[in-house]
Amino acid sequence: MKLQHYLGGLEGLGPVSTETRVFVETWETRIFGIHTAMMALSSQLPLPPTPSKFTTVWTWADLRKGAESLNPFDYFKFRYYEKWLGGISGYFIDNGYITADELDALTEEYYSDPSKSVPAAGDAAIDNRVVQYLVEGDSPKRDTNVSFDFAVGDLVSIKNVPSIEHTRLPGFLRNKSGTVETVYDGAYVYLCDTGTDGVGAAMPVYCIRFEPEDLWPGNTEKNFSLYADLYSHYVEAPAAASAKQAA
Amino acid sequence: MIDRFQYREDREAYSAARVKALEALLIKKGIITDKTVDTVLDFFETKMGPFNGAKIVARAWVDPSFKDRLVTDTPAAIAELNLPEGMAGAEGEHMRAVANSPDVHNLIICTLCSCYPWPVLGLPPYWYKDPTFRSRAAREPRAVLGEFGLPVPEAIEIKVWDSSAQIRWFVVPERPVGTEGMTEAELEALVTPEAMMGVAIAKAA
Repeated sequence: MKLQHYLGGLEGLGPVSTETRVFVETWETRIFGIHTAMMALSSQLPLPPTPSKFTTVWTWADLRKGAESLNPFDYFKFRYYEKWLGGISGYFIDNGYITADELDALTEEYYSDPSKSVPAAGDAAIDNRVVQYLVEGDSPKRDTNVSFDFAVGDLVSIKNVPSIEHTRLPGFLRNKSGTVETVYDGAYVYLCDTGTDGVGAAMPVYCIRFEPEDLWPGNTEKNFSLYADLYSHYVEAPAAASAKQAA
Repeated sequence: MIDRFQYREDREAYSAARVKALEALLIKKGIITDKTVDTVLDFFETKMGPFNGAKIVARAWVDPSFKDRLVTDTPAAIAELNLPEGMAGAEGEHMRAVANSPDVHNLIICTLCSCYPWPVLGLPPYWYKDPTFRSRAAREPRAVLGEFGLPVPEAIEIKVWDSSAQIRWFVVPERPVGTEGMTEAELEALVTPEAMMGVAIAKAA
């Protein structure tokens, strides 16, 4: 079980940050740009090939897996883009694009001389594809024929699926009941197959309304509702949930 | 004391050097170009950003039928406007808008990560990515909004929307009182990213 899957509702955390900047250090802009380029150049996308030597898959799912696999203390300790820098550097090393030694050595060089510039090189086709990705996106919606087991207003139960590495089911909703608010049109894939967690293939997505008093009895606020978009694999009929409990 | 609870003294200088080293290596190895990162950043300065969301909200304020269409079929309504290409692009392939009313205040959160509607709002501010916000807003949104300087009376229902799947959300705040004579362009200037995610309301300047 990963704390990062169970953030919703966690107590004892103190005041929220009201920092409205997107980047609080200039260096953060660079890792954001690198991540976005990796998503755009990722090999599974149906975009024109480029001379880029990037031949593997990188999606949000990979970035999220990295953040979810962190020691929870580190997750809270490091700023958002510090986690990105660690995760993305690790990916390039693990996949053999660069070595840890050359990254360390070059870091020392730029540390000693921050005015030293990066090399000038590259084919414009690479940047064109990055822009094309931003403009066109990567829609998860599919025209697959799927069956919709639930309709608006239906009472449903949320499963407690075995999530190992990565999930899109918030922990605080597991084993809870809610009401279907929206049945989204069509079927949606996820960026990767999450294994026993169960998402990846095209399936319906429901927006489900939860009563906070059911989620945190006696320990929440009045006159508010919590809604979550959930893949259908996470949702089942209340009868199925009761049968499992009885068994 | 173990290192886990300490930061490097040169925390930012070290990260700055390390990300520069990473970018330099990726250029050298032919993965990206020396212009790739700036190309991405420029795109978010000029094409995808909260300036689009402000135009959408201002139109909703002056045209109630557009507002109805915006909350019913968000992408189709956005496509009516003369915005930069890419409004259904990365992280905006499927968007949904919810409108505040005198009885309902909406708040968008992402308890698992930081899902955010890039085309209309650009990149998420730090408050949205903060694990403390993501934890607390799910259970005690009124207390959290109070810390943002936005008291929401108990008579007003709060709807919190957790972005756990592939839909990206934003809020249409209410038009501030005292703005009746303003042009659409003047109204745009009153719309902040915070108001479009629900931790603020739009205010007459």
